[in-house]
Amino acid sequence: MRVGDHPILGKVEWGKKVTMIVDGHPVEALEGEPIATALLAAGRRVFRYTTKLNEPRGVFCALGRCTDCVMVVDGQPNVRTCVTPVRDGMVIETQVGLGQWCYSKKADKKDG
Amino acid sequence: MTDKDVIICRCEEVTRGEIEEAIRLGLTTMNEVKRLTRAGLGLCQGKTCSRLVSDILARETNRPLQDVKPSTCRPPTRVMPIGVLASLPSDSE
Repeated sequence: MRVGDHPILGKVEWGKKVTMIVDGHPVEALEGEPIATALLAAGRRVFRYTTKLNEPRGVFCALGRCTDCVMVVDGQPNVRTCVTPVRDGMVIETQVGLGQWCYSKKADKKDG
Repeated sequence: MTDKDVIICRCEEVTRGEIEEAIRLGLTTMNEVKRLTRAGLGLCQGKTCSRLVSDILARETNRPLQDVKPSTCRPPTRVMPIGVLASLPSDSE
């Protein structure tokens, strides 16, 4: 659900519709909105699993402080999704524990 | 689930029970608690838990909260890629 007409913030001007790839599946998002916003709007609550207890985590503070919403974004782990804007074609993966660096196909092409 | 199982440091998954137990071993400062339990050493660097830990420390050691000094902070205070630091001009340039 998205709030398009907020009692205090007023009418929202939606960004352009783009597509992110989340765990291999296309998810519609609005360009420039935080990744976490797009995921919540798409009905997703679990963003990562913790290192010690393997418990699910999602948005907690939603303003870039707590780092609970981190995911692997374009191959880079520990990216705070609540303060990272969506770009078209972004590849997002659920982070397990501390996450691992993985190079996307795009990066491979650039290198060789 | 009891009070002891409540997670205080969300990054390092340290419970209230673990922190209280550490204080009962004789710890009196935030730095000591941090080093023994790892509370405050995770990705957010104690932004979420340091107030809670200092409150527990003050209660457990029967001190007013203002007598509990914060743990040592060192830069950088925000998570950043090493490339940001590497791209800064050096003094000789």
